[in-house]
Amino acid sequence: MRRIASIAWHTFKESVREKVLYNLIVFALLLIGAAILFGSISVGIEGIILVNLGLSAISVFGLLMAIFIGIGLVSKEIERQSIYSILSKPVRRAEFILGKYFGLLLTLVINTAVMTAGFYAALFYQKRTLAVADLIVLQAVYFILLQFALVIGLALLFSCLTTPVLSAVFTFCVYVIGNFLANIRWFGQETGSALIEKATMVLYYLLPNFGDFNVITLVAHGQRVPGYLLLSNSLYALLYVTILISAAILIFEKREFR
Amino acid sequence: MTSGGAVYHEVSVARVCGLLLVMCFLALVPVQQGIDQALNAQTRSDENLYIPSGTILRRLSLGHEGLLADIYWTRVVQYFGRKRLDRATQFKLLGPLLQITTDLDPQLIIAYRFGAIFLAEKAPGGAGQPQEALQLLRRGIAANPDHWRLWQDLGFIYYWDLKDYASAARVFQAGANRPGAGVWMKALAATVAARGGEIQTSRLLWSEIYRQADNDSIRRSALDHLLALQAQEELEQLDRLLRQYRQREGHPAHGFRELVTAGFLAALPRDPSGAPYRVLSDGRAALAPTSKVDLALLQ
Repeated sequence: MRRIASIAWHTFKESVREKVLYNLIVFALLLIGAAILFGSISVGIEGIILVNLGLSAISVFGLLMAIFIGIGLVSKEIERQSIYSILSKPVRRAEFILGKYFGLLLTLVINTAVMTAGFYAALFYQKRTLAVADLIVLQAVYFILLQFALVIGLALLFSCLTTPVLSAVFTFCVYVIGNFLANIRWFGQETGSALIEKATMVLYYLLPNFGDFNVITLVAHGQRVPGYLLLSNSLYALLYVTILISAAILIFEKREFR
Repeated sequence: MTSGGAVYHEVSVARVCGLLLVMCFLALVPVQQGIDQALNAQTRSDENLYIPSGTILRRLSLGHEGLLADIYWTRVVQYFGRKRLDRATQFKLLGPLLQITTDLDPQLIIAYRFGAIFLAEKAPGGAGQPQEALQLLRRGIAANPDHWRLWQDLGFIYYWDLKDYASAARVFQAGANRPGAGVWMKALAATVAARGGEIQTSRLLWSEIYRQADNDSIRRSALDHLLALQAQEELEQLDRLLRQYRQREGHPAHGFRELVTAGFLAALPRDPSGAPYRVLSDGRAALAPTSKVDLALLQ
């Protein structure tokens, strides 16, 4: 456990040294600030625009961070040959993977916290006050974090399998497909072909369903996410992350370094 | 060389990970089903267009307006299909979606032709908005003046949905003058002008549509209309025979067997779908409940 924490901490320190991270945070904060301007040229939906644009900025830029840092988690260590010195120490490969995962997750949690603080600052600027009801936005932020947890798992898995560029492409593609899974299943049902229906149903359960976590529009209208959905989505993310990390460990255990 | 302990460790990690993989996937299915249920309970009918302007979408498409038009056309088809399955009577987004599609790609002929059918047909088969269908087709003709089939569709809506036979004849005539127009368009224009509203004219119209349809759903629809027209004609003939029977025998017939016995009919009459006709308690001929002919198409 201590070894996992140590690798995680090291990964976190390494991640925060990445310049791209700060660029993305600045862009996200600028976009959140721009939401105030967008709201001011609209009528009646200033608050909704701020929530929609603010949370979308957190989601998109966090996703970019998860992909661009996640894909280098393993491949960079191999490229720099630092993997040999790490694995020559009493560190198991599974611990290395887990440490890497939690290190990047910590980075994303802290960055999301910074962007969320920026969002609340913009909200305060717009409304001149903050109410308890505004905390409802945190439910969507939590779901965004669950998405990041899945994306990091995907990036880590692909990072164990292939080159950083292909890892980025695969992670992004799975993310996009994962947002359309409900449509893919519906398409399968509409075709009337039993084979296509079964194939799309298998895809529906096999790939990570990112659409489950899209509650930004809901909270933008001040609606609370039902407790059951909070619980079941947390469980879903936990199960899927376990699958991704298990697969990453399986691959990494078999991998030979020369 | 790998030591025995390391091999054992590697195998046990692989087993644990493999087991976790399988167990988590098995557990995912009921969790996802639970989420689906919760989300379905949350979902309301989403009858909104976030970007209602085709012009703005065209600018946002960064030169990919053709692809975007295809996506919007697919959305039209899905929207219409889902509404029909739900037997909805309101098709709020149909017109705006078609407008966006044709703004993005004014040469997308199928969007005008099918879109007009979707809009014009009465609910629950369609949106029941023939005026919107006319506008769509007029926009199509403005963007594609030489596409004579748009004139044919326009004339058809005037004829079938608006019962405006004079306008239908005028439009068929205008379409007949377009390059490549079928020669039958001129004949159609003349027939509609002379005998608009008669069953024979309607049959001619649907027969042409059936003959030239390049799509199964249009061919099927034309065939359904032709069968309904045939049934309507046969019902009128049977009503005449029932009246004659009553006059001659002094009492109404309770079934067509009596007409066969009395020599009015050679055999028990059947509708175009093969189901037997029946006599209602008020003495009129009608389709059997099992009939596949839909007379409502002629309303």
